[in-house]
Amino acid sequence: MSERIIEYRDALCEAMSEEMRDDKKVFLLGEEVAQYNGAYKISKGMLDEFGPRRVIDTPISESGFSGMAIGAAMRGLRPIVEFMSWSFSLVAADPILNNAAKMLYMSGGQFGCPIVFRGNDGAGGQLGSTHSWCVESLYANVPGLKMAIPYDAYDAKGMLKTAIRDDNPVFFLESERLLSTTGHVPVEEYTVPFGQALVRRQGTDCTIISFGRPLHFCQEAAEELAKEGIACEIIDGRTIRPLDIDTMVASVRKTNTCVVVDQSWSFASVGSEIASQIHRYCFDDLDNFVHRVHSDDVPTPYASNLEQAYLPNTRKICEAVRAATYNS
Amino acid sequence: MPIEITMPRLSDTMEEGTLLQWHKQLGDVVSSGDVLADIETDKATMELQSFDDGIFSEILVQEGEKVEVGKVVAVLTEEDEAPLESTTPEEPANETKVEIQKPEKTGMAISPVARRLADEYGIDLKTIQGSGPSGRVIKRDILQVVDATKETSAAAATTQPDEIIQRTVSEPEVVATTHPIVASGDWRENRSEPLSNMRQVIAKRLVESKQTIPHYQVTMSFDMDPLLDMRKTLNKQLANSGVKLSVNDFLVRCCALAMAEHPAFNASFGGDCIYFHGPVNVGIAIALPEDKGGGLVVGTIRDADQKSLRSISQESVRLGKKARDKGLSLEEMSDTTFTISNLGMFGVEHFTAIINPPNSAILAVGAAIEKPVVRGGELVVGNELSATLSLDHRVIDGAMAARYLKTLKELIENPAALLV
Repeated sequence: MSERIIEYRDALCEAMSEEMRDDKKVFLLGEEVAQYNGAYKISKGMLDEFGPRRVIDTPISESGFSGMAIGAAMRGLRPIVEFMSWSFSLVAADPILNNAAKMLYMSGGQFGCPIVFRGNDGAGGQLGSTHSWCVESLYANVPGLKMAIPYDAYDAKGMLKTAIRDDNPVFFLESERLLSTTGHVPVEEYTVPFGQALVRRQGTDCTIISFGRPLHFCQEAAEELAKEGIACEIIDGRTIRPLDIDTMVASVRKTNTCVVVDQSWSFASVGSEIASQIHRYCFDDLDNFVHRVHSDDVPTPYASNLEQAYLPNTRKICEAVRAATYNS
Repeated sequence: MPIEITMPRLSDTMEEGTLLQWHKQLGDVVSSGDVLADIETDKATMELQSFDDGIFSEILVQEGEKVEVGKVVAVLTEEDEAPLESTTPEEPANETKVEIQKPEKTGMAISPVARRLADEYGIDLKTIQGSGPSGRVIKRDILQVVDATKETSAAAATTQPDEIIQRTVSEPEVVATTHPIVASGDWRENRSEPLSNMRQVIAKRLVESKQTIPHYQVTMSFDMDPLLDMRKTLNKQLANSGVKLSVNDFLVRCCALAMAEHPAFNASFGGDCIYFHGPVNVGIAIALPEDKGGGLVVGTIRDADQKSLRSISQESVRLGKKARDKGLSLEEMSDTTFTISNLGMFGVEHFTAIINPPNSAILAVGAAIEKPVVRGGELVVGNELSATLSLDHRVIDGAMAARYLKTLKELIENPAALLV
């Protein structure tokens, strides 16, 4: 395998382009995806290659173009819907939750909905509260959809290809803060299956479970904690639905302590769900209750210093791990 | 701040309650969740629980008194604010002095994994001071005791053999084992050994059996008292004839005799037919000594249904000895129609065996064990033996297996019939 380092955004572009070359039913639509090459330059060059019938600029009307894409998916096409930000998906909540996620069930199996909704999730950096949504806890609550959160360029490409090939609606959560990060992406064809968590760092003292961008803070925290003699094991869950609880449980059985880091708010969240499952499956293995780190329970602040303090940052993770391991 | 305990409203319609009994005495340490008293309401008697921690320092309602909901019935104080030293002016002068007792460890907190480890290492939790929040015993505390115990033991063993080892582990009565006890740290190296011919055959045949035969198991227990009594009598009488009947010899005969009624147990699956065998040849599994390479062979007792207990016994002894000394001939190992595997001599209570093809059944026999049993409606001590049939479902169905075991049970529990 050749060593090739590319940006996360280019990995996403490769995944979409390769799948569009392989399958004529796949197409991309969203705001600015065609002539402007994508608001975040993810679809760069795609209009030139595939033409305006398969790379479609839409008006600013999430509810409308989501609904249109869902109709196309029901009739056998495989649309990729780009939300400039998942924050904007809220105006399309009815089609994506009520139609896409429930179509197979409500049509008694007559219509599937092989569709990918993708875009930036979470605080991008001083975008203010209404444009800094973390939708994972909100949407993961709904049955009938899959949810994937790639952390690096390798996963971005491999998981997006899996998402496009999946016959169910996939909510694909990227991060503006990760788009420019670089990583090894092989030239050769590969995919990353859903439902397989990845141990990103091995350790014996505390299991840290997270998804997406907060993994960056987890890595920093683990470095700092290593200096204090606390060896953290970091698990990247990769997909929330399906959730690979087995890998998480195996790790907690080893470390006996667990910190869940989830960038959504804490109440009724992905973090609370994982903590609940760990408590259930690891009850006799726990040396402390599962500690959780979330964004603070307020709307995302605009001020840079407040936004940094609000996120599940390195300091909060270190404090949680120390508390969970009785080292505070 | 003193905490006032009031008469709670324990039901929707409760207006007043009778304090039946106090469960705490003055000076007792109270933790949240402790039952303070029994309260009788208009509907039932219920517990009055404390929602706070503190010292039980004042009783305002005596047992048997009826008071309305909301009235203060007792007072808790915090540990460091001893009521006797209180400077509160409204404190009655003639108040009984309350002796504050040292808080005892009640309902100690312990993390689940620490509890599990304590169980595994046999550590008495009462001896441990928890280092977690509010004195919670955590994993670290247990591992420290384990390490300390190891160190003390090691030190005692190497330098001070006479010194009594301070252990927190409660020691059961020690019996010297007949097996060497391996010291920790004596790791054996990884190695591989080529398969002997016998092991190759076992591996091949049993994998084939387990993969191609739809196995299932049926177990039954037998009252062994009559059979053991008879065996004792017979062995006494035969003492000078060089014959000693084993339990297994009886079982061989029982299984063989039962075939007359249950031919499917003496049969083989033939793909498009079932072969019912004429002769009843019972195989007995014989374990070979490990110093000779171990392994297992099945010796054949031919026409077992036609043989007396004595000739079964002699045949069985001969096969076992020959198998262990120089090995059985092909003739002595072939043509079985049913097999018995017995681990009773090791005290095994119950196990399941893999069918020895082309048989359609194998009986796995445990030990006759002395245990409390019900005989004629009374609990007495009796000997019970549990045996498990593994069966080829292509030949034998569950109800058939149950009927075969029922016949076996009749024969085993009424052993006189085995003599004729």
